[in-house]
Amino acid sequence: MVSQKITIKNEQGLHMRPAGVFAKAVAPFQSDVKIKVGDKTVNGKSIMNIIGACIKYGTEIEIICEGADEEAALKEAISQIESGMGE
Amino acid sequence: MMTGIGASKGFGIGKIVMIQDVDLVIHDTPVSDPEAELTRFSQAVDTFVHRTEKMAAEIRTRVGEKEAEILEGHIIMLQDPAMSDGVADGIKEGLTAERAFSNVCDMFIGVFSMAEDELTKQRATDVEDIRSRMLKILLHVEEVDIRNVPPHTILVAKDLTPSMTVGISKENVVGILTEVGGYTSHSAILARALGIPAVLSLADITTKAKDGMEAVCDGESGTVILSPTDAEKKDYEEKRLAYLEQMKALKEFFGKPTLTADNTSVELVCNIGKPGDATAVLEASGEGVGLFRTEFLFMDRDTIPTEEEQFQAYKEVAEKLSGKPVIIRTLDVGGDKEIPYLHLPKEDNPFLGYRAIRVCLDQKDMYRIQLRALLRASAYGKIRIMIPMITCIEELRGAKDLLEELKEELRSQSISFDENIPVGVMIETPAAVMIADLLAKEADFFSIGTNDLTQYIMAVDRGNAHVANLYSHYNPAVLRAIKHVIACGKKEGIMVGMCGEAAADSRLIPLLLSYGLQEFSVSATSVLATRATISKWDKASADALAKEVAALLTKEEVESCLKKNVR
Repeated sequence: MVSQKITIKNEQGLHMRPAGVFAKAVAPFQSDVKIKVGDKTVNGKSIMNIIGACIKYGTEIEIICEGADEEAALKEAISQIESGMGE
Repeated sequence: MMTGIGASKGFGIGKIVMIQDVDLVIHDTPVSDPEAELTRFSQAVDTFVHRTEKMAAEIRTRVGEKEAEILEGHIIMLQDPAMSDGVADGIKEGLTAERAFSNVCDMFIGVFSMAEDELTKQRATDVEDIRSRMLKILLHVEEVDIRNVPPHTILVAKDLTPSMTVGISKENVVGILTEVGGYTSHSAILARALGIPAVLSLADITTKAKDGMEAVCDGESGTVILSPTDAEKKDYEEKRLAYLEQMKALKEFFGKPTLTADNTSVELVCNIGKPGDATAVLEASGEGVGLFRTEFLFMDRDTIPTEEEQFQAYKEVAEKLSGKPVIIRTLDVGGDKEIPYLHLPKEDNPFLGYRAIRVCLDQKDMYRIQLRALLRASAYGKIRIMIPMITCIEELRGAKDLLEELKEELRSQSISFDENIPVGVMIETPAAVMIADLLAKEADFFSIGTNDLTQYIMAVDRGNAHVANLYSHYNPAVLRAIKHVIACGKKEGIMVGMCGEAAADSRLIPLLLSYGLQEFSVSATSVLATRATISKWDKASADALAKEVAALLTKEEVESCLKKNVR
């Protein structure tokens, strides 16, 4: 299992569009991709879960990946959050 | 007459068409073959995706990218693993596809509508829409098609779902009335994008309105009249034509310089609250930013934003405005703006307490981060720094000294910034008004914040209904303060602007022009109207009006005089 903490840069938080971009980007990986925010952990491959977690601007989240390609999955997830999912 | 939320400006006169949603009844028959049920569900998903893609393509060309994305979002949501796993689990437990899907939707509607932020709450409407359309596919019920409504239709619905809106066009629909929804709901956004008047949140409209009934609506005030009299219809028709005329006239001011009738140029800029608003400024042909409130960066989080985060936000605005002036106000915390992690003590009189520059000069480490970020961003555009809540020279000097220290630090680190970055004062306290002559010698510009200034000059809490009537910038005390501040600024040759709501008040504008205000900072939506008002006044007639007003003793007299003379 690998994990990394990162802060959300999207002004309006992870609303529908960025959540969709994120979920789509990590979907091809075999590994489980989870997002830990506060004491909640949600499936990072699910846009519905991400939206439901209500992740706002400036919040620190932890991305947790587990599986055969966990390193690559984490790298992709972090680069997505860092780039603000194209917003 | 009924009143709801005016969500899209304009006047509509027409006949009502009710958009009734059929009751979708789910029959919970036992499922003998879960595999077949799963197949039935995935076929319905395919149909949904196919239909929605078609709708999205159509709406993309007819309305816009943003609206199309809402519909495409529905496909993503429906195909989401959390959604499909939930349905599969339900079907395996013996539920029908309809029931299993409906349950999963209920769960997400519950989660989303419990959320605190408006954007997430709105997603509940999307799930509701997806559910209703999926159930129609599974139950073989026809979808509502608005495309075929006759011209001059006023649509009435409980709520307009994104999928319903596909058929709406300006050619046939002249008004939209709904029982639920607010200014930022899908229906409102779509109505504004199409330029169709809309009134939302009308209680019981779906029971009071009937098919074929005549109605008129005013999408600004939120007024609706069902079965209007001939006189009312005539009145609305006149208003409608006047409104269209006005819209056409305002369009002429788009992208034009802001000039008075005798060709004196003034700056017309905008107030913004977050970096994204910069787009609205440019779309409205604003000439810059007169007030960028930085509180947004500090809200809804648990720690002070880092220098890098702040730098990025300021840089983004500076770059978007590409060389146009951007006045950024340093943190205005306290008063009614609370930021929990700063642990500011509860106060009996927060507006007279630990607020804005008082906090910043006391918590210098926090202030340093913001000022350093502002300096660094100044290398990417025309940034001006504005200090809020100034009451004495020491505070202005305190901020400027800190800036000098930071400039030195940046020089030694070879980080570029604007060496001549202007530092101005937000004039919003009676103390600042009284020493405006002294402040003008040490500040590079003034911006009069009329909202707080009115409150402090009149010593009135605008939230207190017992005294709220005193809160008006037409009070001679407030007008004299404004006039004095502008005169002091002019004497020292510094720019004086205004960033309160008063700057967009068409009644007050001639007075401000006569006093010599050089910069008007208004909301993006007020840019064209303000530019139009300014263009109607020349120095001589503005001065004459100012002279007349100066002789008046009460705010009622001032207000009625200005109202009479409005252009």
